Amino acid sequence: MRKIISGNEAIAIGAYRANASFASGYPGTPSSEILEYTKTFEDIKVQWASNEKSAFEQALGSSIAGRRSFVTMKHVGLNVAADSLMSSSYTGVNAGFVVVVADDPGMHSSQNEQDTRLFAKFAQVPILEPSDAKEAMGFMQYAFSLSEEYDTPVILRSTTRVSHTQELVYFDMHKLGGTEDKLLAKNISKYVLVPKNALLRHKKLLERNTKLQKLTNETPLNRIEQGSLNVGIITSGVSYLYAKELLPEANFLKIGLSWPFPIDLAKEFTKNLEKVIVIEELEPYIEEQLKIAGINNVEGKKFFPQDGEFNLDIVEEGLVKASVLEKRHKKYFEVPKNLPERPPVLCPGCPHRPIFDILHSLKVYVTGDIGCYTLGAAPPLSSIHTTVCMGASISMGYGIAKASQNHKIVSVIGDSTFLHTGIQPLIDAYVNNVAYTVIILDNSITAMTGGQPDAVSGFNIKNEPAPKVDLENLVRSIGIKRVFKVDQYNYKKTKEIIEQEINTKELSVIIATRPCVLAPIKIKETPYFVIADKCIDCKRCLRIGCPAIGYKESKAYIIEDLCTGCALCAEVCPTLAIVKGESNE
Amino acid sequence: MNKGIIFCGVGGDGIITASNICALALMRASFDVKKSEVHGMSQRGGSVNAFLVFGKKVYSFLPAKGSLNYMFASEKLEALRNVDYLNPDSKLLVNDRIVPIVGANIDEVQIEENLKSYSLDLKLVNFNDVAKQHNMQKAVNTIMLGYFSKIIEIDKKYFIRAISDNLSPKLIDINIEAFEIGFNLQ
Repeated sequence: MRKIISGNEAIAIGAYRANASFASGYPGTPSSEILEYTKTFEDIKVQWASNEKSAFEQALGSSIAGRRSFVTMKHVGLNVAADSLMSSSYTGVNAGFVVVVADDPGMHSSQNEQDTRLFAKFAQVPILEPSDAKEAMGFMQYAFSLSEEYDTPVILRSTTRVSHTQELVYFDMHKLGGTEDKLLAKNISKYVLVPKNALLRHKKLLERNTKLQKLTNETPLNRIEQGSLNVGIITSGVSYLYAKELLPEANFLKIGLSWPFPIDLAKEFTKNLEKVIVIEELEPYIEEQLKIAGINNVEGKKFFPQDGEFNLDIVEEGLVKASVLEKRHKKYFEVPKNLPERPPVLCPGCPHRPIFDILHSLKVYVTGDIGCYTLGAAPPLSSIHTTVCMGASISMGYGIAKASQNHKIVSVIGDSTFLHTGIQPLIDAYVNNVAYTVIILDNSITAMTGGQPDAVSGFNIKNEPAPKVDLENLVRSIGIKRVFKVDQYNYKKTKEIIEQEINTKELSVIIATRPCVLAPIKIKETPYFVIADKCIDCKRCLRIGCPAIGYKESKAYIIEDLCTGCALCAEVCPTLAIVKGESNE
Repeated sequence: MNKGIIFCGVGGDGIITASNICALALMRASFDVKKSEVHGMSQRGGSVNAFLVFGKKVYSFLPAKGSLNYMFASEKLEALRNVDYLNPDSKLLVNDRIVPIVGANIDEVQIEENLKSYSLDLKLVNFNDVAKQHNMQKAVNTIMLGYFSKIIEIDKKYFIRAISDNLSPKLIDINIEAFEIGFNLQ
């Protein structure tokens, strides 16, 4: 078959060909589409979990049951599943178990740019780093055998450019032979990590490392490519492609299995080379391995940045700095300075917008969370004051409310994020009598990552009807008395309840129930328009930050194509100049 | 020699789909193709771009500045924002419209003047108006692709096949019709 596929699709196909039969994960850019593709294979049981830890352990369980299994997440998701990773490195696996983690150098849609290779070293599990979709497919397929042969979880590390880049790949959909399901493993000394067993497992792990050390120096995944220049380049992932494009005549040591690092191979490679350059995105992981091993004719971060995403221009600049490439005199145009930026914004009709407009007007301190609603921090709404990581809104709101009792504190969190890691801090707040207001922005979908269902959606990843959690019952079952449901499109009522609750000296939870305008159904009602004669140029409607509202010649106007008819602008307009229907001008 | 295209526009306006169809058409035309794009936050009405590199054998997904031959821009400000990927020989097709930015003033005249100041081979057409005339507002980018296929000199049969293979059955006919409208536009 000849097809243009993305790295994420390739990973799903690799798993299918390796006879994987179980997959779980939590959505997170740039990893989300892996399971979206996996769900098209009927032989794989696939599901979204509430968080990465749950997903990880589901897949580990399935491996112990004898089925090849994998779990997907973004880089920061592995922090949530770190507990499971560190200990499953001790238990090992039964059937092959692969942890797919997608890093986001350059933070296209993330809160940090941590490097998962360091996690592999920390947990002492092998990590594979494909450079493109074709390798992603092959590496994923191989990862399951590697996992079984060495009795270890295996990390497959992608990055945004590998996951979201598409290329032409020739492949077939034949499954590998000879990988029959195993029996459920019953082995207390292996799978029950009480200290007595864990001490022995730790020794096993160290023995495994010795074997892996041998493998990493011999595997074709780590390969030397001879070149004609007296320059060596050691690189992995997408950086390999940039280097290959810029300096194809160099000698290359291409790393595909990066932990354990192939030290003997690197010694062999660097031995007769005058100059060796390490090109790696983010942390100087390879460079440190080399220097620790006493290989001193190498330099990396001296020439290349340790932050952000690489591209051809950055790698070229580094190679020029390292004096192995001459600056090419390319002619290109300068972009005019001071062009207005176009940052992402909440969609027209987004049900989060009324909430942030209200919070802005009430001048409260708001702890935020991870999701589309993080955009509530951007001007003109500017009404989120902290966003750190998944679930941190409620716990940080707790801390701030306890520490500064004179301030009005509100925490905002989406339904998916609440179910991910928001429930436990809410329990803490209840049992410790902390008085503040939690708003659950229940749009019934994981919107930011493209509309994946969660536990309140009522359908599953395959779009089949599924049981759903009732958030109000869940919150009330904790014991919290002040629980309210609001429809944000009813602006006045919503504002009234929020105002009432922030002035109450008790913990309260407000569940805002309007669904997302994009998923699962795209909502577009009759648009609104501005009666120009009634517009007094007060700019109140502009302060809701709706992309469907423009401003020309001292009047606001509405872009009909974009307007979804949510009516928030009409609600806030002091002169009732905004009305439903199509403008007749 | 490889060639490259930048697709740029505003999140949600169909740039990624247009680039997908174009990539498929180039594959049908027997090129090696690599395409790079970014999902997530940038889809929410922010600036979006996708790079497509095609030729006999392509290594890097991300092109160097000044290296691209063509631009397909669904909006003028976004076209201007990405001119650093172009060079004096590049050809541009830009939809002659401005999408407002929340809280910012955009000087449309200035932007257009800037865009023209590079003396590039620039085609500025309001495809939204063309679409409106034919009552095809939902297929603006496909109309634009019809016109663009002539600029990149790729036979339209490859695009027609890409549309037929890539879109859901109920959208195929209307998109082929839209493509033809763009192709026949003078």
